[in-house]
Amino acid sequence: MLESFFYPQIRFSSVMYSTQELELFPDRTVTQLLFKDVKNAAELRKNAMEGKINGALINPSMIVSPFQVLVAANKAVHLHSTGKMKTRSLYSEIIYNLSPTNNISEAFKRFGMSDSDSAVLIVLVHLKEETQHMTDIIAKVDGQQIPIEDVSMLTDTAKVKKLYKTTPQEDTCLLDAVVCRMATKDVM
Amino acid sequence: MAVEGTSVALPQFLKKIELIKQGAEARVYRGSFLGKPTIVKERFPKLYRHPLLDEKLTHRRTVQEVRSILRCRKAGISAPVVYFVDYTSHCIFLEDIVGSITVRDHIASTQLSSAQKSPEEHLDQLAQKMGQILAKMHDEDVVHGDLTTSNMLLKAGAESGETELVLIDFGLSYISALPEDKGVDMYVLEKAFLSTHPNTEALFEKLLKAYAASSKKSHAVIKKLDEVRLRGRKRSMVG
Ligand SMILES: Nc1ncnc2c1ncn2[C@@H]1O[C@H](COP(=O)(O)OP(=O)(O)O)[C@@H](O)[C@H]1O
Ligand SMILES: [Mg+2]
Repeated sequence: MLESFFYPQIRFSSVMYSTQELELFPDRTVTQLLFKDVKNAAELRKNAMEGKINGALINPSMIVSPFQVLVAANKAVHLHSTGKMKTRSLYSEIIYNLSPTNNISEAFKRFGMSDSDSAVLIVLVHLKEETQHMTDIIAKVDGQQIPIEDVSMLTDTAKVKKLYKTTPQEDTCLLDAVVCRMATKDVM
Repeated sequence: MAVEGTSVALPQFLKKIELIKQGAEARVYRGSFLGKPTIVKERFPKLYRHPLLDEKLTHRRTVQEVRSILRCRKAGISAPVVYFVDYTSHCIFLEDIVGSITVRDHIASTQLSSAQKSPEEHLDQLAQKMGQILAKMHDEDVVHGDLTTSNMLLKAGAESGETELVLIDFGLSYISALPEDKGVDMYVLEKAFLSTHPNTEALFEKLLKAYAASSKKSHAVIKKLDEVRLRGRKRSMVG
């Protein structure tokens, strides 16, 4: 209690974003940032398409947990390294991997940010020491950054269940159901 | 980053984590993946097989394993979550059922424990649960292909205190509605069960009884099981 009173910034920064080293690619780190009340979604999307934002812009209502994004990112880096991606860039591959189907345009429609969105989850894959990039992106978003774990409050559970076609028996853990489908979609 | 088509990252990762089982078909490892406790199952090339045939078989087993896991999970049958699959090195990354033990080890230690006056009675509930879950699996037309007490894990339930039975090792599984296939599945289990665990005939009967009681389709399966048993006996009499 006292500690969080005296060091509010430290506590604040540790929960704001999530970083996870990819154990299979130890020089790569995945960072996730979450924003609400975003007013410049269209501009951000344009930036991403022009390569000015090196990251994947994701619709957070389809995300159950940051772990779901990590699974997509790991698979994207893996397929990138073996030359077997289904899309043109690492970031589009992350969005594609989130989808339970092999339809690319459908994946972008459901999991990518759209111009009218007011919340966005941004995923970056970078070298551990490369943090400037993150600061640049935060500066580009006209919105309020919120702790990444709050993504669960933005989840549209009914939509997620419908899109991933989960069964009532899987309701005990929606994340598990989602992750299983993402990981196995190539052979279904 | 890598030679086109193959991953250098994976072999390097496997070197760093703990090898827990070196089998004839696969190596099983334990480590951390995306921050979670994970089991990695690596199916390695078998040098005595023709490389193309080997590749095809190994690929098929990897695919069958993840397909059946998903099919079971959809039906509410516990099996580990699949986190990641690499079809080039034939590695499956699975949820580590932390703190679990195999049914084999559980039965063995219960039988040994002198504290149990009647170990078989103590194991009745487990046999019942096994029968019920296998009936449910067969009702989904999943034939496991390698039913043994090592391919079932017991996991302490979160709050309920009840133990959960988790099915694993689906590499030889396939989809079939035929009572014959399911009967053979149960026959394989019976053989493995009785040879691994001495004096468990009565216990296995309880398992079969629960199996029969749990599924409408079980009658035809048990009939086939009886036929297969008879065939097995005849064969051993002749051979
Ligand atoms: N998901 C898991 N969680 C915990 N332990 C596991 C898991 N998967 C396998 N194991 C352990 O590893 C052993 C071998 O795994 P298995 O998939 O049966 O491979 P094999 O084909 O070599 O028998 C199991 O008997 C069990 O002890
Ligand atoms: Mg096994």
